[in-house]
Amino acid sequence: MSLPPLLVQSAGSLAAILALAALARWLKLGGHPGLSDEAMLRRAAEEIVDGFEVADFSLAADRTAALVRDPEGRIMLIRLHGSRHVGRIISPLASARAHGNILEVDCREPRFGVTRLELEDAEAWAAAINAVGRGRDA
Amino acid sequence: MPDLNPTQYAVPLFVVAVLAEMIWAKLRAPQAYEPKDTLVSLSFGLGSTIAGALLGGFAVAVFLKAYEYRIFDFGPEWWAVWWAWPVCFVLDDLKYYWVHRAGHRIRWMWASHVNHHSSQHYNLSTALRQTWTGPLTFGFLFAVPLVLLGFHPAMIAICGGFNLIYQFWIHTEAIKRMPAWFEAVMNTPSHHRVHHATNPRYLDTNYAGVFIVWDKMFGTFTPEVDDEKIRYGIVKQLGSFNLLWAVFHEWIGILTDVWRAPWKHKLSYLLREPGWSHDGSRETSDMIRAKWQARSGGPVAPQATSVADRNAIAGGAEAA
Repeated sequence: MSLPPLLVQSAGSLAAILALAALARWLKLGGHPGLSDEAMLRRAAEEIVDGFEVADFSLAADRTAALVRDPEGRIMLIRLHGSRHVGRIISPLASARAHGNILEVDCREPRFGVTRLELEDAEAWAAAINAVGRGRDA
Repeated sequence: MPDLNPTQYAVPLFVVAVLAEMIWAKLRAPQAYEPKDTLVSLSFGLGSTIAGALLGGFAVAVFLKAYEYRIFDFGPEWWAVWWAWPVCFVLDDLKYYWVHRAGHRIRWMWASHVNHHSSQHYNLSTALRQTWTGPLTFGFLFAVPLVLLGFHPAMIAICGGFNLIYQFWIHTEAIKRMPAWFEAVMNTPSHHRVHHATNPRYLDTNYAGVFIVWDKMFGTFTPEVDDEKIRYGIVKQLGSFNLLWAVFHEWIGILTDVWRAPWKHKLSYLLREPGWSHDGSRETSDMIRAKWQARSGGPVAPQATSVADRNAIAGGAEAA
């Protein structure tokens, strides 16, 4: 019995793909130094939204995520994504819940997920995030 | 008639080259690769091949029909007309420039092409991050003039295959610059890094496939600046390694926008530039670049912008 060429080719390609991805993992490629300090946070925020100026920030204890605020009061969530970082300006759709020092931020965006941050001022950030858009709607 | 699919034969070369670049990354730049991102990019490549085989038949049928109305006839043994091959290759590359430019300026086409740009990494695996949904756009129609000129669809397909193979090696950070004469004429890693960048100064520039001269001719060329770190990906990074979301996210975005928009704006969400919104709540690449220029006093946008503004398909676009 002969297999269709497309099937054979696809199976070979799939094997090569899995092998290369496994090799990348075995070579320990990737990795992220973490959001190490204020200077890095400023750079990250500027990369995510060009011109975003950090006036205030809070870095998660494990340095995998942070919340930053600009002089206009816009709040941005920054988190690691593989060996890069991603971020979102908090919209009125977003919500946050604080449990002691743990803050959970849900940007309500498909596949972006809920971000968990351990922060000293979790309650204050939760209140600020949940207040986004309220002034406009009032 | 030649029965040749050059990309099929190049697959082993792709695998070896990615392997070599991974070893380079291990030694020089471990963050150049991210295993999950690599897996997604390579899966895109496989899915694209399958989608092309399953959905490409319609384009072939259109080309074969158009070929019946060709202006020039290279005869029954058209493949033996040697000079037609380089001419076809150059014209196909010109076609690629325009289809690629449209792919960044028309959201319907961007929904498909965004797949190639959604990695935050720039390495050889990114080159294989090809769309699954190309047949759902009308990009193939850009080749119809070549068919009407008399180039057989198979000749165009073979030239297009070699074009794609050429573009593989330019997806790397391992090569800084090629010799000046080469940089002047050909698309290179440096020129194409610019194309994949989201830095405001680079948005929507360097659309070339093989010959960078098209960007210089049509005003969309921007050189790489050495003292500015390049950020790769799209303006609104996905933040997910989910393959299916990466494939379909922009299509879902279009459907959502068209559904929610007032009737008079529905079509605009399909045909206008990525980032356009009827209420001004989002930013196009032109808006991002204008803000950056106003803030930083950066150089005037590439001539491209002025040319694009005069062009029917232009207006601004999300990152590329």
